[in-house]
Amino acid sequence: MARMTARRALFAVPVLLAVTFGVFAVAAASPFDPVKAYAGNAGLTASQETLDQLRANLGVDQPLVTRWWEWLSHAVTGDLGDSAVLRQPVAQVIGERLGWSVLLAAVAFGVAIVLGTVLGVLAARRQGGWFDRGVSSLAYTLEAAPPFWLGLLAMWLFALKLGVLPAGGLTDTGSATVTFEQVARHLVLPAAVLAISQIPWFVLYVRQGVADALEEDPVRGARARGLAARTVLLGHALRSGLLPVLTLIGSRVPELITGALLVETVFSWPGIAAATVQAATSVDFPLLAALTVLATIAVLLGNLLSDLLYGLADPRVGFDG
Amino acid sequence: MTARSIRTAGGALVAVTALALAASACSAPGETAPDGAMSGSAVVGIAYEPDSLSPLLGYGKDGNSKIFDGLLTRAANMQLQPALAAELPKVSDDGRTYTYKLREGVSFSDGKPFTAKDVVFTYETILDEKTNNAYKTELDALKSVEAEGDSEVVFHLKYPYAPFAERTVLPIAPEHVAGEQDVNSGPFTTKPIGTGPYELVKWSKGEKLTFKANPGYWAGEPKVKEFTMAIIKDDDVRATRLRSGDLDGAILPPNLAKTFKGEGGNRTYTAKSFDYRLVTLPTHNKVTGDTAVRRALDVAVDRKAMVDSILDGAGKEAYGPVPTDSDWFTKGTERSHDLKKAERILDDAGWKKGKDGIREKDGRRAAFPLWYLTGDKLRQDHALAYASDAKKAGVEVKVQAGTWEVIEPRMKTDAVLAGGGSPADPDFDQYSLLASKLSGDGFNNMAWYDNAKVDKALEAARKTDDKAKRQAEYDTIQRELVKDPGYTFLTHIDHLYVLNSRFGERSTQVEPHDHGLASGPWWNVEDWQPLK
Amino acid sequence: MAELTWKSTGDRRRSTRAWRVRGSAVTVAVIVLAVLLVPPLVQLDEQAVDLAAKLRQPSLAHPFGTDDVGRDLLLRCVYGLRVSLLVGVVAAVVATVIGTAVGAAAAASGGWFDRVVMRVVDLFSSVPHLLLGIFIVAMFSPGVWPVVVSVGLTHWLSTARIVRSEVLSLRSRPYVDAAISGGASRLRVAVRHLLPGVLPQAGLAAVLMVPHAIWHESALSFLGLGLPTHQASLGTLVQSSRGPLLAGDWWPTLFPGLCMVIATLAIAGLAGAWRERLNPRRRSELML
Repeated sequence: MARMTARRALFAVPVLLAVTFGVFAVAAASPFDPVKAYAGNAGLTASQETLDQLRANLGVDQPLVTRWWEWLSHAVTGDLGDSAVLRQPVAQVIGERLGWSVLLAAVAFGVAIVLGTVLGVLAARRQGGWFDRGVSSLAYTLEAAPPFWLGLLAMWLFALKLGVLPAGGLTDTGSATVTFEQVARHLVLPAAVLAISQIPWFVLYVRQGVADALEEDPVRGARARGLAARTVLLGHALRSGLLPVLTLIGSRVPELITGALLVETVFSWPGIAAATVQAATSVDFPLLAALTVLATIAVLLGNLLSDLLYGLADPRVGFDG
Repeated sequence: MTARSIRTAGGALVAVTALALAASACSAPGETAPDGAMSGSAVVGIAYEPDSLSPLLGYGKDGNSKIFDGLLTRAANMQLQPALAAELPKVSDDGRTYTYKLREGVSFSDGKPFTAKDVVFTYETILDEKTNNAYKTELDALKSVEAEGDSEVVFHLKYPYAPFAERTVLPIAPEHVAGEQDVNSGPFTTKPIGTGPYELVKWSKGEKLTFKANPGYWAGEPKVKEFTMAIIKDDDVRATRLRSGDLDGAILPPNLAKTFKGEGGNRTYTAKSFDYRLVTLPTHNKVTGDTAVRRALDVAVDRKAMVDSILDGAGKEAYGPVPTDSDWFTKGTERSHDLKKAERILDDAGWKKGKDGIREKDGRRAAFPLWYLTGDKLRQDHALAYASDAKKAGVEVKVQAGTWEVIEPRMKTDAVLAGGGSPADPDFDQYSLLASKLSGDGFNNMAWYDNAKVDKALEAARKTDDKAKRQAEYDTIQRELVKDPGYTFLTHIDHLYVLNSRFGERSTQVEPHDHGLASGPWWNVEDWQPLK
Repeated sequence: MAELTWKSTGDRRRSTRAWRVRGSAVTVAVIVLAVLLVPPLVQLDEQAVDLAAKLRQPSLAHPFGTDDVGRDLLLRCVYGLRVSLLVGVVAAVVATVIGTAVGAAAAASGGWFDRVVMRVVDLFSSVPHLLLGIFIVAMFSPGVWPVVVSVGLTHWLSTARIVRSEVLSLRSRPYVDAAISGGASRLRVAVRHLLPGVLPQAGLAAVLMVPHAIWHESALSFLGLGLPTHQASLGTLVQSSRGPLLAGDWWPTLFPGLCMVIATLAIAGLAGAWRERLNPRRRSELML
């Protein structure tokens, strides 16, 4: 297990190197002038001399590879540079926001896994039944619905029409301290919407996995031996049917990040997403680069998690990666 | 929403929640006041964030900066009154020397005394070529400033400039701090020290500015001890957070402010303003440079509908930089919506309708692009409405969105949906908007408007102190704008604010376009007496 | 869908499926006809503002209601679908061309080149699409083309994998071997034998990509990074509906989203049927 983790970590190094270089290459190809972006509106009236000075200060006049190497050697020591738009060190921006994003994503993901599995198994139990058809149709429909749209509709219904849940934010700004109760209340809507955007995939996969397992020989055999339907379902089909799902959980990380990005924006959740969007609209390169790397790490971790889970669940699979 | 009333933490901790909470507990946004200080604190949502907090770089140039004071300040009715000056200035007979006697016993929030040297330092630094102050031209009339002892300052002007005293609301920086460092990038630009009613506690860029009351403020310590300005650029998000009880008050566009009307717990404030929206008609564009097209567009546009629908009634039709309810407005220069007249003007000038309904003259289509600032809904809606009105008269206006970096290089030939306006003196707007010598100078005279009669009147009006004479000159300008409208003025927009009613009945000032931080009902937050 | 499951459920289920395919086909046909024919036939200006008719509730005159400057939302939705479909189709074609080229090249040459290329594919998959898309859009000014490029550049990976495995399996077929040993040129083998086998798979991948690309365009536009807000697309329509929604007016939000859901389901339904015919034994993959 440790060996595989180490191998994956080793693989991650060239991946991250390549991703960061790619990010710098795209930025270099961009027609955007980072100096103008840095100067903001003041840049419109600033003299050429000032802009040139700024250009030298920011190191933008260096060639691509030099800049990339500069950034990388600093990044390794933990210095990710300063965010131009938030005017804070990038590490601080991420540090302040990452926890909230993780909280939102973890809660939503947990809910999605549990609900998705339960609904999927129930649907698979009687394929073609009314419950299966209802759940499947709903799942396909929800899968087609963009999370930001669901978020807006949920906000309209629960926050504006019914007034039962807050419409956004992390806490009431007026109150200075962050209490658990407040965060929990503010978490409900975004987490629910994010979960709903992830559930269909789980439902459909679990349903398919379990249904396929029910048709497999060992399960058929068990049925033929006269075991109760419940025992067959829980004891045999569930185990072999859920295995493929388990291994795919980690691969859902990119979708989770994507969904979180949109849901955070709708509910002004103070996570990474708001920073990402701001960084993107104002071409805040250091922040964007760091966030892209961060997301890549999350995806790689997700892949690792998949493989580890698969190994744990199915002892036949060795851990040599 | 009752979020505020529920305060006890309870319920079972989901393991993962606790974990993530622990991971981020130290860094939650909003770690300002201890609980219970509620009545003495206020949190307001604003749309705009300053680039810098240094008065030397333009922060608070129109007065009311909270952290600083100017020599003068403006009362609720916009009359000038002394602040760091002990009384209003004495003006010499030739109008070229202004003498200010300074208030005694005022200190900066670091305890060092305020003296005449700080005033001289502030003005001289702003005029210094090396200082990146984009508003330098506003002090164009100023030749020199000198201290007479510790408590008197004398300003010498290059030419008599009637509205000069209006400019001396600009905040005074401490020489002993700001003079010790790089004016453009030193720490003073983000950690200011002033004489004002509030001290800056923290500036989380892009998120909020936190202030605390200055206990040694010369006019008495403010009752609202904690004052937070949350910077929320997105109107919808600001409204959401106000509704969720997150904010005590916020500036909102009319359609969103309207949704708070009639709800208990909040009051809606409408601040009158000089804030106009206009379409520049660049002289160097072959279509918009044609006076007939300009005049046709001027009457083709339905200003009333814009006020009623886009502004939800919160505004006025604009016919020039001067709002119709100002003393300086020239009665009789209103233009009513008259499509027939617009068509007649264009027909007479030889712009003939083509097959697709768009006019042509000498093979040139009556079409031009109109840019608005990406993400600015108000300007977008004005632009779309303008384009629709123009199309009915046979002029094709192609609406396009861009950031200032994209728009600015095109301003010489492309139309822009722009905004501006300052209530302090008619010279401030009209000179920068219309003087031909400021053509293409940054955001001054964006249309390259060039009218000799207007130029002459502008110069004459700023050099005399005689109100009647000035009025006559500004009447000339406004009448000239009817004959040759270099801009299509659309609306003057009211600024709408919603504020929690626990702060009682507040007032608002007449506001400029760039209203900075201290606007709306919290223009005088230092004087508030919070109710329980 | 695995065949086995269908066997156990009988005819009723099969006819439901047929109806679903028919329904999808009709819906796609209606959408395509609408976006192609409505603009030239109706000759209405979708940007035409009617300030007197702002935020009208859905009615006979305006089945989807009007937006906050009085534009008819049905017309806006048709224009929005038109732009979104255009972006989706072009981006899907771009992605498919890149993916097919990369996948086929990798499979055809094999060896180290294959391994390197597939590692690059893995690499690209390690960055979340939307984030990569945001990055690309951010670096260029907003507009249709950056969105197309951004979606196209981030979505060729699965196509590359599918095409590669298809080529690999075709290469091992006897008739290809026979052609090669018979002295046919590489090009001839590729054009005569491999291409016909790969094209349907690539085409299917392209169709399945369209809803995904639409989804991405709308997400980028919703974040304010895609198309300019005055230009109708399904994403910008939802984006600009936030203000009215907060004021309690639900229809500007509801209808564009519904259009997107319906279009996505219909395209996916058709593609699903095609896939079942093409790969009857393959387990269904949910490629939304």
